[in-house]
Amino acid sequence: MNIPLALEIENLTFRYRSRTEPAIKNISLSVAQGQLILIAGASGCGKTTLARCINGLIPRSYKGELSGRILLQGQDIAGLPLARISQLVGTVLQDPERQILGTRVLYEVAFGLENLGLPRDEILHRVEEALDYLNISHLRDRETFNLSGGEKQKVALAGVLAMNPSILLLDEPLASLDPASAQEALELIRRLSDEGMTVLMVEHRVEDVLKIHPDRVLFMMDGEIRYDGDPDGLTKAVDYREVKLPAKMIIQRAAAYPPPPLLQALPDVILSAEEEPLVRFEDVSFGYEEGQRVLDKINLDIRRGDVIAVLGPNGAGKTTLVKHAIGLLKPKSGRVLVQGRDTRHLSVAEVANTLGYVFQSPSHMLFAPTVHDELAFGPKNLGHKLEDIEKQVAEAVEIVHLNGMEQDPPLALSFGQQKRVSIAAILAMRSRILVMDEPTAGQDYKNYMDFMTSIVQMQGFQAILFITHDVDLAVIYANRVLLVNQGRLVADGKPEEVLSNFERLTANRLVPTSLLQANLEYLPRAGHFLSAEALAHLPPP
Amino acid sequence: MLVTWRYRERKSLIQSFDPRAWIIFFACFLASTLFFWDLRYLLFFTAIALLTVFTSGVTWQESRRAWLFITGFILFFAFFTFLTGRGGVELYRVEHIIAQYAAPFTILGWRPTLWITAERIMFSASMILRVFSIASMTILIPYSLNPALYGVTFRKLGMPDKIAYGMDLTMRFIPTFGRDFSLTMDAQKARGYEIEKLSGGLFEQVRKLAPLIVPVTIHAIMGSEDIIDAMDLRAFGIGPRTWLQELHYRQRDIALITFGMIMVLTSAALSLFTYRLWIPEFLLALAQ
Repeated sequence: MNIPLALEIENLTFRYRSRTEPAIKNISLSVAQGQLILIAGASGCGKTTLARCINGLIPRSYKGELSGRILLQGQDIAGLPLARISQLVGTVLQDPERQILGTRVLYEVAFGLENLGLPRDEILHRVEEALDYLNISHLRDRETFNLSGGEKQKVALAGVLAMNPSILLLDEPLASLDPASAQEALELIRRLSDEGMTVLMVEHRVEDVLKIHPDRVLFMMDGEIRYDGDPDGLTKAVDYREVKLPAKMIIQRAAAYPPPPLLQALPDVILSAEEEPLVRFEDVSFGYEEGQRVLDKINLDIRRGDVIAVLGPNGAGKTTLVKHAIGLLKPKSGRVLVQGRDTRHLSVAEVANTLGYVFQSPSHMLFAPTVHDELAFGPKNLGHKLEDIEKQVAEAVEIVHLNGMEQDPPLALSFGQQKRVSIAAILAMRSRILVMDEPTAGQDYKNYMDFMTSIVQMQGFQAILFITHDVDLAVIYANRVLLVNQGRLVADGKPEEVLSNFERLTANRLVPTSLLQANLEYLPRAGHFLSAEALAHLPPP
Repeated sequence: MLVTWRYRERKSLIQSFDPRAWIIFFACFLASTLFFWDLRYLLFFTAIALLTVFTSGVTWQESRRAWLFITGFILFFAFFTFLTGRGGVELYRVEHIIAQYAAPFTILGWRPTLWITAERIMFSASMILRVFSIASMTILIPYSLNPALYGVTFRKLGMPDKIAYGMDLTMRFIPTFGRDFSLTMDAQKARGYEIEKLSGGLFEQVRKLAPLIVPVTIHAIMGSEDIIDAMDLRAFGIGPRTWLQELHYRQRDIALITFGMIMVLTSAALSLFTYRLWIPEFLLALAQ
């Protein structure tokens, strides 16, 4: 007897109703039962559209022109209702925060089964089973809103697994997780696949996924599959600048190209000794409630020339620390000095003259009808003169390369451009320190590397501080690393000092990356950390 | 924190009933109160409201703002109707004047005069009791009914699945919305935006709120697309759904519903005779 293929796609093309060009073109694909497949590609390459075709959202929720055929377990899904497809394909969306619909874990996991109208006893049994399988039975009665990112991901997965699908479709499951949680999630996905589940995983973090040895990798570009084969072949078939590959492979490949230009962080800064720090934390402690310690006796100076990466697990206190620097929070004990002045006596607006904070998602701050107005908003609030504002806005536009877009509405720009607008908004305020929360979130590898390379070399700032989960960003761009955990400053020093202690990294839920390992091998020759492309041009260790 | 849940489990009269029974009783109470303007009958409903408040386990500290708002609201309107005499005209045709105070000035030939009449006094007093009884019973609901049970409560009361689940969904996303709001607030504060310094007329003030309203709205719209996808992908709305939470009526719930029903029917019958203001004799005597 022939076992039907888990998934078969024949000549699939889809164009969204509002677009002129198809989002995916002539996709053909066969997936056998139990395969673990990674689908990689830059933003806009069509991976999400392909996923929506497989789980039936296209053409049922997203209208457009669809041609070709999709078969799930040998069944053509064209005539099937979404309810039936959802029992064949379970989908976990990118942001578990928006996917979780129940107020409590139990009701969230039961949601799909309730909708199918199953008897109550069966629902309870299947919910318990799914929670037990993922080892999260202890979360059963917790409120979903208060779960950590990793816990939310598992709860969302449990809700999908409870419906007993034969194919699991994961859309960027690692996006919001800290390194240790991402590793746990990957191990779990491997286990599901080993036990017979067919898994399709859309993910930017190719290097991380390769660690769990997917059976097959698809690389998409411009709506088409450009590579379909085993993981080894991928590293040869794709541009190493577009997909994040393990450092060793980049080093091998990049040696054939000219070396990258030397990174010149903060070009405006001329360091002089014995200068007053821009920001100083003196024994700063803070808790949102009485008796709670979110920050515990933090001592820290931020000086001119610092490019600081703040690393640490979710909930470690990183954002709380940064909010103290920009005056949004005031310490419960100790004090924070911004250019010698206590933040207790300064308004947030006054601190903004020194520190500019770029939030994770640009859509949390963009509101104005034009880019020009958006950039003028900050300096106007700070009471700058009108003629100065025009000059500052023009300079900021120039620095972030948004020339010609001054009259465009920021909300209609691409994500990457919006991110640039949000940086320019801080530049226009003439803040001296740029503070960024997860600057690479929501961008693909090539975009965020280009973005970070241009930001750290930008004129106008005297120091940069960014919060990140990505150890490699600290390796490549920072000249100082702060390791924060449980409200304490666990380590503060040069990347070469802080990141070389693997035991300490693991204890703080960070995972040493291949780039970090390669850098440590090259360190005696290089003297400091470099990108993989730069390492490629050093003599091998 | 912008969003705080008022509900918690308490040892209270309200929470000793099934939420459906309480909602039905509340509806009966509401309808019954609205049948009367007669102060003597209204006192009965005020007594029920007071009994519920004092056995609710809700402390003054946690509900102070709600009470102060309601009190201010009631007193303002009662005083306003008392001054103008508007609102009660359909209940009485003749007014018995107790006192009158004319202003020492005129506006375009009209001299403002305050008429204190027996009818206006009683109308204001009745209005205070009516609104107070209804408002205090209403205030207690968010403190006493478990938000996690809103959906199933209204489903079992006969609402369609989709609308009932919509209530659960609202409860689920209020904290998310609150978090987005405070993130935007922080992001704009960091750009020197100071909401405390809003000035100008109403339209100008709304315009100046755009830095908060626009991002929060855009975020909510973007998020709702994911929420709809997530619901579709898990078969929401394909047919009658099972509700995992269970509610069971006990004897005391049946008793409460019966009491509510009798109350509303009796009130309807009585109101045929008493839908008018009651003016005590001593007030009429004062007017003579």
